[in-house]
Amino acid sequence: MATQPHTAPPPPGRVDSGAVKLVVPSLIGALVALTLGVYGHLHNPTGYAINIAGFSSPGAVKSWLATGAFVLALVQVGSALVMYGKVPRIAAPSWIGGLHRWSGRIAFLLAVPVAVHCLYALGFQNYSTRVLVHSLLGCAFFGAFTIKMLILPKSDLPGWTLPALGALVFTALTGVWFTSAYWFFSTFGIRH
Amino acid sequence: MKIKTPYLTLLTGAALGVVLLVASMLATPKAPASPVAAAPAPASSAAAQSSPASPTPTATAVANVPARANYAGEVKGGGASVAISIHRGQAIAYVCNGSVIEAWLKGTAAGGHLTMTGKGGARLSATYNFKRAVGHVIAHGIRYAFSAPAVHKPSGLYQAIAIVRGAKIKAGWIVLPDGTQVGSLESNADAAAPSATQAPMLDVTTGTAQDGDTVLVATPVSGVTGSGF
Repeated sequence: MATQPHTAPPPPGRVDSGAVKLVVPSLIGALVALTLGVYGHLHNPTGYAINIAGFSSPGAVKSWLATGAFVLALVQVGSALVMYGKVPRIAAPSWIGGLHRWSGRIAFLLAVPVAVHCLYALGFQNYSTRVLVHSLLGCAFFGAFTIKMLILPKSDLPGWTLPALGALVFTALTGVWFTSAYWFFSTFGIRH
Repeated sequence: MKIKTPYLTLLTGAALGVVLLVASMLATPKAPASPVAAAPAPASSAAAQSSPASPTPTATAVANVPARANYAGEVKGGGASVAISIHRGQAIAYVCNGSVIEAWLKGTAAGGHLTMTGKGGARLSATYNFKRAVGHVIAHGIRYAFSAPAVHKPSGLYQAIAIVRGAKIKAGWIVLPDGTQVGSLESNADAAAPSATQAPMLDVTTGTAQDGDTVLVATPVSGVTGSGF
């Protein structure tokens, strides 16, 4: 995972300073994903967890929270593209960093209650392809997000690291959303 | 010392997760275990035996059986669906092929075993845990084997009862985790051997189904909430 895309062998010192910084965060992130999955598998699902009042069902609450997180994740991708100068004719405004950070924080905090309900009330399940994919991607999302947060403050990383991890986090969340909220709304109709 | 903001984000999320988890644990209704395990006497006698190993298997066995649960799934071979709801030792089940073969069953759930009977010689026998109910059911003389996963609202069992021109009609629907449903309607539900036809489509959102000029209002049969018990 931590191999560098260099074609020529770089000086030994450079390899260490860049790639080695990824090892510990990656291990921690993998541990987070694994812990969530193992907990979800071993814990007896209660079928019950605290929830937000005013919705018709826990599924509806979670679908809307997840949809909020997904919309903010789209903001994440958009703002990241602008920050990296990938959008033609749009110069990054001064507030774009703030937008990226805060949309990410809020998206993460929206996803946490959903994950708690999933893991505590429903558990890691595999009774259908959708459910298995959802369980795997849900764990992977929090692992990938953990890695991204842990490496953000580090300097001297290979340039592809943050975009690659951002893409990983976004892909996982998209998969999680399609196998849950999208399925919920398309099966039972859009309701709250 | 200033904590870097991405770390703060992670810590905040983790703290929120822990708070919600603990709150959920505190708010979760205590599942009443089987009467024997719930009685204080065995607990004290187990403690008096001063054998640390002996209470553990009991606790594990009880913890592996839900007091409230809903299961729904297709039978092996896919010819019909079965739904089972367990609520504090009572169980209601429905097996249905979306047409003439269907049966309502009632019975008891204890220690991970289900035994249920219904009209026309219908019988169901299964074991269950937090994840699934596995067994077989006999309806209209046909034996179906099943392994039905635990399901959550809006998947599960729905029932509608109405009196139309003096006759009691009773409809049942099984909504599977993938959203598909099968349902049948007994037009003479009080008969010893009710005859059934395909039920009109249940709108899970509104909980209603249109049967000719009659609107059937369905209620969930849920072991988790106790609705329908």
